Amino acid sequence: MLVLSYFFTEALASLWRGRRASVLSIATITTALVVLGGFLLVTSNLDRLVARWTTAAEFSVYLRDEATPQERNAVDRLLVGSRTVAARESVTKEGALERFKRNFPDLTTTARNLDGNPFPASVEVRLQPAADPDEVARLAAEIGTLPGVADVRYDRQWIARVLTTVALVRGIGLVVAVVLIVAACLTVANVVRLALFARLDEVRIMALVGAPLGYIRGPFVVEGLLQGGLGALIAVGLLYAGFLAAASRYSDGLASVIGPDSVTFLSAGSSGWLIAGGMAVGCLGGIIAARSARGLALEG
Amino acid sequence: MVETFQLSKLYSRGVYALRNLSLKIDKGEFVFLTGPSGAGKSTLLRLLLREVLPSEGDIIVVGRNLARMSAGQVQAYRRSVGFVFQDFKLIPRMTVLENVAFVLRVLGAPVATQRRKTFQVLKWVGLQHRINAYPLELSGGEQQRIAIARALVNDPMLILADEPTGNLDPDLSLEIMNLFREINARGTTVIVATHDRELIRRVGRRAITLDHGSVVEIDEQASVDAGA
Repeated sequence: MLVLSYFFTEALASLWRGRRASVLSIATITTALVVLGGFLLVTSNLDRLVARWTTAAEFSVYLRDEATPQERNAVDRLLVGSRTVAARESVTKEGALERFKRNFPDLTTTARNLDGNPFPASVEVRLQPAADPDEVARLAAEIGTLPGVADVRYDRQWIARVLTTVALVRGIGLVVAVVLIVAACLTVANVVRLALFARLDEVRIMALVGAPLGYIRGPFVVEGLLQGGLGALIAVGLLYAGFLAAASRYSDGLASVIGPDSVTFLSAGSSGWLIAGGMAVGCLGGIIAARSARGLALEG
Repeated sequence: MVETFQLSKLYSRGVYALRNLSLKIDKGEFVFLTGPSGAGKSTLLRLLLREVLPSEGDIIVVGRNLARMSAGQVQAYRRSVGFVFQDFKLIPRMTVLENVAFVLRVLGAPVATQRRKTFQVLKWVGLQHRINAYPLELSGGEQQRIAIARALVNDPMLILADEPTGNLDPDLSLEIMNLFREINARGTTVIVATHDRELIRRVGRRAITLDHGSVVEIDEQASVDAGA
């Protein structure tokens, strides 16, 4: 306990003595973790959004204008016979036009000036929540081959593309974050090494009186840990402030597109991991720097 | 106490600081190492502190070969050795009390023991009234006495001093040497490196003269004179 108290007291004093350099290494850790945390924040929200869209995903069967009642019945039979389908609703050409006018009132004049009704009749299918995506894809493909069917749009296909994009964004984010974290770790190592060299006489005396290496290195490792922890706390604080600012500015627009309460901040667990990660990075930097102490203490 | 056998230290530039040095220092002895600059006095002390390793030969202290010690054994060995440097090597941001107690603190001594032993040793060197002063507020002689107190506080079996009077005037030098004599009188082995022949003569102890890394003279007479 006495030793830990000594480590922290010395580390805090050293942080204060080298405050300019410490600010630099804390800033690099903050930058790295803001980038990492920012990507985590964006991708975790996108994941949740996509998951919600996935459970609500539908597919729509667009019919040709000249489709006969027999051809429409064939589509119906396939849908009724599939266990992936929860419900279906037929939308006539007139119904589709009315829905367009209702959803896009600004474009009513345009719709009124059209020659005839360009919207096709369709069958909108609601899927079972646990429907197997492969089975649904097979059903959509089979319906697409029926005569009288103009097109089949299966929402999960573009959701899959969104998921791929999210994974790509996450991958890029991780690579950028890892590069920044390595840079932050090296910055901490160099700043702590500066602190070590500033106390070279002290370190040498400690080594000469036979202080254990752990005792010599401890304050420097703790100094790295404190820099990392401070940087991470500031990063989480900045992310939260940024999140609140964005939420207050764009909440109405976002709510209309993706629904209320769809965008949330990082969970307490994720924030905790981010702070622990920052401390670990700082600690690693401190360990790298403190290894120099062995060379000062012993030859051979 | 201390024995070296064919001890050599070759630095990276190909220069021998010590060459085939064999000598013996008994337990409880007070020995001067003397010789011109570059003779190898400081290198021998650094080898005795296990700051550097010999290039060849053996260096035995109390039956232990310093060249064949693990890191842990080196730390344990150093706890039994006190050292004093010409430039004092006190930590400027610490008070006199903290500079001396520092040794006991890093060795994990209880706070009460740190205070008691530090005060005792500061009283012994006559600086108990300056415990709250900082090193730069003290004279050279006072700073060296603090350095000696720091070397003594852990009750070492061996004291190594490298030009401890190099920055002091003759009167203060003799005062510091008297402290070393008192330490030695209590049974501690003392090895002092100095190029000050006059001081050696006045203190009167065995003097080993080195030149170019080898022993060129052992003056037993000095100790005989002192004992007479």
